[in-house]
Amino acid sequence: MDKQASGDTVTGANVRRMARTAIGCEPLVGSQTPSKKRDYRVTNKLQEGKRPLYAVVFNFIDSRYFNVFATVGGNRVTVYQCLEGGVIAALQSYVDEDKDESFYTVSWACNVDGTPFLVAGGINGIIRVIDVSNEKLHKSFVGHGDSINEIRTQPLKPSLVVSASKDESVRLWNVHTGICILIFAGAGGHRNEVLSVDFHPSDIYRIASCGMDNTVKIWSMKEFWTYVEKSFTWTDLPSKFPTKYVQFPVFIASVHSNYVDCNRWLGDFILSKSVDNEIVLWEPKMKEQSPGEGTADILQKYPVPECDIWFIKFSCDFHYNAAAIGNREGKIYVWELQSSPPTLIARLSHAHSRSPIRQTAMSFDGSTILSCCEDGAIWRWDAVSTS
Amino acid sequence: MPGIPLVARETSSYSRSTDQMCREDSRVHLSAEEEIAAEESLSVYCKPVELYNILQRRAVRNPLFLQRCLSYQIQEKRRRRIQITISLSGAVNEGLQAQFPFPLYILLGRLVSDAAVAEYSAVYRFSRACILTNFTGVEGSTQVQANFILPEINKLALKAKSGSLAILLINFAGNQNSLRGTDLTKARLGVTSIPSNEGGYCLWGKIPLESLCMSWEKSPCLSLGQRAEFTYPVDMQSCFLKLSCLNKDKCVSIQMPFNSGTSNTTQQVHITISAEEFGVKDKSPYDSYTCSDISSSSLSRIIRLRAGNVVFNYRYYNNKLQRTEVTEDFSCPFCLVKCASFKGLRYHLPSSHDLFNFEFWVTEEYQAVNVSVKTDIWRSEVVADGVDPKQQTFFFWSKRRRHRRMKNLGQHSKHVQPLVLESNLPPEACQLLDGGNDLQSVSIGVGEFAQNVPSTFNVEGVANAGAQSYTDPECVQSVSGNNLAAPAMLQFAKTRKLSVERSDPRNRTLLQKRQFFHSHRAQPMAWEQVTSDRDSEDEVDDDVADLEDRRMLDDFVDVTKDEKQMMHMWNSFVRKQRVLADGHIPWACEAFTKLHGDALVQAPALAWCWRLFMIKLWNHGLLDARTMNNCNVLLEQYQKQDCDQMRS
Repeated sequence: MDKQASGDTVTGANVRRMARTAIGCEPLVGSQTPSKKRDYRVTNKLQEGKRPLYAVVFNFIDSRYFNVFATVGGNRVTVYQCLEGGVIAALQSYVDEDKDESFYTVSWACNVDGTPFLVAGGINGIIRVIDVSNEKLHKSFVGHGDSINEIRTQPLKPSLVVSASKDESVRLWNVHTGICILIFAGAGGHRNEVLSVDFHPSDIYRIASCGMDNTVKIWSMKEFWTYVEKSFTWTDLPSKFPTKYVQFPVFIASVHSNYVDCNRWLGDFILSKSVDNEIVLWEPKMKEQSPGEGTADILQKYPVPECDIWFIKFSCDFHYNAAAIGNREGKIYVWELQSSPPTLIARLSHAHSRSPIRQTAMSFDGSTILSCCEDGAIWRWDAVSTS
Repeated sequence: MPGIPLVARETSSYSRSTDQMCREDSRVHLSAEEEIAAEESLSVYCKPVELYNILQRRAVRNPLFLQRCLSYQIQEKRRRRIQITISLSGAVNEGLQAQFPFPLYILLGRLVSDAAVAEYSAVYRFSRACILTNFTGVEGSTQVQANFILPEINKLALKAKSGSLAILLINFAGNQNSLRGTDLTKARLGVTSIPSNEGGYCLWGKIPLESLCMSWEKSPCLSLGQRAEFTYPVDMQSCFLKLSCLNKDKCVSIQMPFNSGTSNTTQQVHITISAEEFGVKDKSPYDSYTCSDISSSSLSRIIRLRAGNVVFNYRYYNNKLQRTEVTEDFSCPFCLVKCASFKGLRYHLPSSHDLFNFEFWVTEEYQAVNVSVKTDIWRSEVVADGVDPKQQTFFFWSKRRRHRRMKNLGQHSKHVQPLVLESNLPPEACQLLDGGNDLQSVSIGVGEFAQNVPSTFNVEGVANAGAQSYTDPECVQSVSGNNLAAPAMLQFAKTRKLSVERSDPRNRTLLQKRQFFHSHRAQPMAWEQVTSDRDSEDEVDDDVADLEDRRMLDDFVDVTKDEKQMMHMWNSFVRKQRVLADGHIPWACEAFTKLHGDALVQAPALAWCWRLFMIKLWNHGLLDARTMNNCNVLLEQYQKQDCDQMRS
């Protein structure tokens, strides 16, 4: 997968979109002047290897391990701990038996009894569930027909993970029983690679996915919730489970005109980004009578300069107060999400950080920002008190 | 075709040079491109050959009837046996001939029992009598020797030890009696013309086989495969002889006169018995040659010299070129089955390998087969173009043969039993008959094997042996094992490109090892699930279908909620029950009423929707009035039940 550049270079000219905006309802574009509310300093840089790192993620599932994070790159999954004074301690490292595996994504999850799991996936399309407590491979999920671009965990039921794949499907898995519960694909599904997926923070039935077909789709599994419940008590072979296809999303938004490579729920709103140098916050407005149709009301925009290549993902702190996103030049933009107009908290740059940043990770309170780069380096930034 | 087919061959073959027959494309000179094209055209042999390899594997445990026949022939040819030739020793008997008139009958007899028929001193059973004459007979031939075939020496020695087997010499001419002129050789099974009480005086003598065996065993000649010749003096004594027929066998009963001790009619005859062992695979001096030290021209001559060698010419490149190979023992080059004879090969090739054309050539020097691929038909019969047959899976299921074998055995014995019971003989005789079975099969084949044609005489024996080769699992095993294990290819024939590795069993194990995935869920399946009867491939997910149906109905704006409900119920019912044809509708209506009766009764609006729908069906001629009435009666019954429940 060439994540270097999307099909067409995007300029400001084709940023205009189809969402109809009435006069006085134009989206608010944040100012790019940092507010200096918070200041971050580089406290550590770790060169993990030569291969690009595609994902870094803090464990928000288990409060005991809020300072533990994981990275993936190549066929390696590594677990670290952020200590005081900018120290990063390596805890565990897992290497896939296939040296050609290239992990693209990792997510924290846990068993029904709370055992922490790492769920990673990549080019092979096999989801590896690693039991971190006893350092063993818990399960491997096969089923995806192509590489896996993102895995996310349902925070309300951390045994449920959802995966987005190049095979144009999104699948819901139960890591506890190893069951593929639902497949979101088919007649109304994505028409190209699915690049990102996210669980709604409070509506347990709802997920949003986006991908190379330039759309964001919102899915409901309300009608299929019995199967989700059934998956927790399933003892028979996973292949005998009545896996269901969810063929029609409840909402399809064409907010972007190019690959949509990251989307996250912010309450009932959605933050999504394409290769247009900005993150967009919009509200899906569904028509009660006719599912699948609706309009997207674009609320705010968070400009991110030099962010015009695909597969750059942003991250938020636990409370979604702020989002951090890297760019093609190795700079990080930290935006305050819930202020209007949006305010840029900080722009982080370092003379030696020049490689594209694929993903960032904000710690629970946003005081630490990690970035993983194309050149295999992990940078740690810590907030300095502006007293 | 450059070759001349077999029929035309008879007349013109002698002028053809043998080099032309076995040439290796030396005549045709090709350019490099043509050679490539020729190589490609040779590859048309690959697919059929591969197919036949697969078929051959399948047939290992269950050979074709033709193969079984051919292997039986080979087996019979290889069976070791001794041929003995009995003649009067000329030098010794020179002077005798005047007073010892011919004909002399020679029988191979088995002593039945002395006690069985009390009044006779000895009863011998025999199946064939040979006659020796020294004068020109009616047919113009002089018979001076008699041939018998005995089992191999070890078996024979065992049988002979009991002392009941003997060579009998009978001469009627010495005595004037009523039996004169009776031809023992013509006494046949079931012929009643010979009265059972007829008898007469004659001279008889015997040589016990036991003594013969002992001398053979001592002699080194026989074991070395050479002819062993011995001369025996035989005392001829006069006796009273009676001929009778016991069911299938003829018997001679011999009664010694009471004054035998003083009898002066004793004569001595000298008999020469020469024995030779047959059936051992004839060893040819060419068996152990190697390719390297013989020039190729002389090699081809040597190959042709051997009896079982067949030249196969594979035609390709529009019959312009040919490849030649030679097989031994009349083996088929495709499945390596030994076909016993060229005739067997002529039957085997077209019947088992009909994707090829065959032309058969026979001359005094060699046998040859021209092979070409039937280009017009094999494509459809083999796999499609571009498909690698190795990737294809062929299944062959066959129940183990044991059960059927048993049955056959049973049938066979049933077939034999009535013959014994039908005979009007005392039970003792039946027993005798059973006891005599061995000799029967020994003596039956006498002189007949050379022709390989079963006459009416040895039908029983052949049937017996045939059943044996068929019913004996070991026999079948070994025959088929030979086909595989001992490739009859000559050294240089092995290098041919046509031989394809046999990959069928390997594919099967790969198939069992590989992981299967569910076609809907893409989840790995357990092997039991894969092999289970259940196939959900084309199942419709009813829950999802219902959901989609409801969603589809929700889009209608001019339809009431009850109507939508009714539509959904009907759609769901029709899908689940697979109501497809007009003729299903009456049944469907009644079943629907029964299924949803309660719901319909509880929601009168819904029931009315249903009734209206039925009327619609009736309008279209899909529903008859009687069924509609039945449905409404059913609804009323549900209504009544509902009311009763309300009241109580």
